[in-house]
Amino acid sequence: MFNQGLSLDQAPPIAVVLRFFLSLPFFGTLLAILMILYPHEIITPSHPISLAAIHLFFLGVITMSMIGALFQMQSVLGGRPIPAPGGNALIIHTFLTAGVLSLCSAFLFTLAPLFILAAVLLGAALIYTANLILPLLFGEITHDTLRGMRLSLISLAITALFGIVMASSYANNSFSPSYDAIRTSHYSLGLIGWIATLIIAVAFQVVEMFYVTSPYSLWCKRNGFRIITASLALKILWLFLELPYVWVFDGILAALLFGFIATTVRRLHERKRRVSDVSIWFWAFGLLMLCVSLISHLLYLITSLQTFEIAALLGFGTFALSIILGMIGKIVPFLVWFHLNAAGYMETPIMSNVIPAPRNKTLFILLVAGSVSAFLALLNPLFFRIAGIGVLALFVVLGYNLIAATRLYRHIHLSGKRFEFSPPQE
Amino acid sequence: MIFLDTRELDHPLPLEMAVDAFKNLAETEVIHMFHRREPIPLFEIILKNGGHYLSYQDSEELWHVLITRSPAVNLEEYRV
Repeated sequence: MFNQGLSLDQAPPIAVVLRFFLSLPFFGTLLAILMILYPHEIITPSHPISLAAIHLFFLGVITMSMIGALFQMQSVLGGRPIPAPGGNALIIHTFLTAGVLSLCSAFLFTLAPLFILAAVLLGAALIYTANLILPLLFGEITHDTLRGMRLSLISLAITALFGIVMASSYANNSFSPSYDAIRTSHYSLGLIGWIATLIIAVAFQVVEMFYVTSPYSLWCKRNGFRIITASLALKILWLFLELPYVWVFDGILAALLFGFIATTVRRLHERKRRVSDVSIWFWAFGLLMLCVSLISHLLYLITSLQTFEIAALLGFGTFALSIILGMIGKIVPFLVWFHLNAAGYMETPIMSNVIPAPRNKTLFILLVAGSVSAFLALLNPLFFRIAGIGVLALFVVLGYNLIAATRLYRHIHLSGKRFEFSPPQE
Repeated sequence: MIFLDTRELDHPLPLEMAVDAFKNLAETEVIHMFHRREPIPLFEIILKNGGHYLSYQDSEELWHVLITRSPAVNLEEYRV
């Protein structure tokens, strides 16, 4: 290949991705405030404040960061950049932000019109995202990560559709006989189809690339997403037809995720170069939390004890957050470095100086402290207050890291010296 | 010819080393980078700064990337 096949504008502008990432501290802070103020309510399943906190976290923090990352991943991995990334990112980010705030306010203040507003805004943001990126993922797809992205976006769109139905049920205070099936389908698709699938797809790409590990097996890459698709589709069918043994599909998904944990841990353990990297700590802790979540969910299926259901959700949330924080610590320095170098700036810092390792370590310690406190809240809900303080500190540090990186980029972009080659000699 | 063997290095060292070498490249010099995968972001940086590259795959885990500043240099001649 000689200067072929690569557009000069392959990567989206840095502001596109940072717009989403910079919103995380805002929603994380709101979540922490709820945890500090309402520890008992948050730990109570289906309590409106608990539902507000869950959506603040899974939409405002997790989905917000995943959509930002998708803008970057699609252009780099897919080779077909998202059209008009700046304008589309602005539309999606605005609707998502307003939608999350509306939905959480609707739960907190039990206001019917806000449920309708949230359904419109979130439905628009999420279905628009899927509609924007999905067409780019069909055709001659050869990359397994792109297949995973395709499944995760389809799951996101269907999760949003179920969410719209549920929001209208809350708005009208009228719940259909199939409401339980809709609710279970909504969170199964959201947690496994959208979040876990995208993390697995990203792992197939970045674990091998970032940490110089052996590649995941072809069987794993090819069949993992097929098993997730079949299990989720059949589970939803079983739920709506009210057929017995729905738990079988949860068992299959759990087995698959245990396999993913084992194979990823093995690769990280056997990596060729044992360079200290905080992002590996985030991966290891995230996978440990996924393990805790799966075991808790299986125990819930056996015992029907709600404590296990809460533990499963806490573990899953921590898994997703841990991986995302680890990846943000890699992606943001890369974006700053990449865009400054692409613009030809001489003083571009090396990536490890954009977010120094000690600040990433602080983030990791706060994540672990917050998670341990949140699990202790299963014994005494007041521990959720301590967890809330940990979460608040975590998002303050994350905000500082992101703002410092953005300021560094802007400073060099505005005043840096560009390197210039001398004209070719005759 | 500057040789850069980055096959065993963790991300982001290969990219940083290649860009650093590119910034300090003399007019007709050529960088020959050995990497375990095709470093797509590196190509965008090279192109946007007026450079040229040639990349080709030798085996599952070996990519060759030839980089120069001068359009007069025929990178095909440096293929191994």
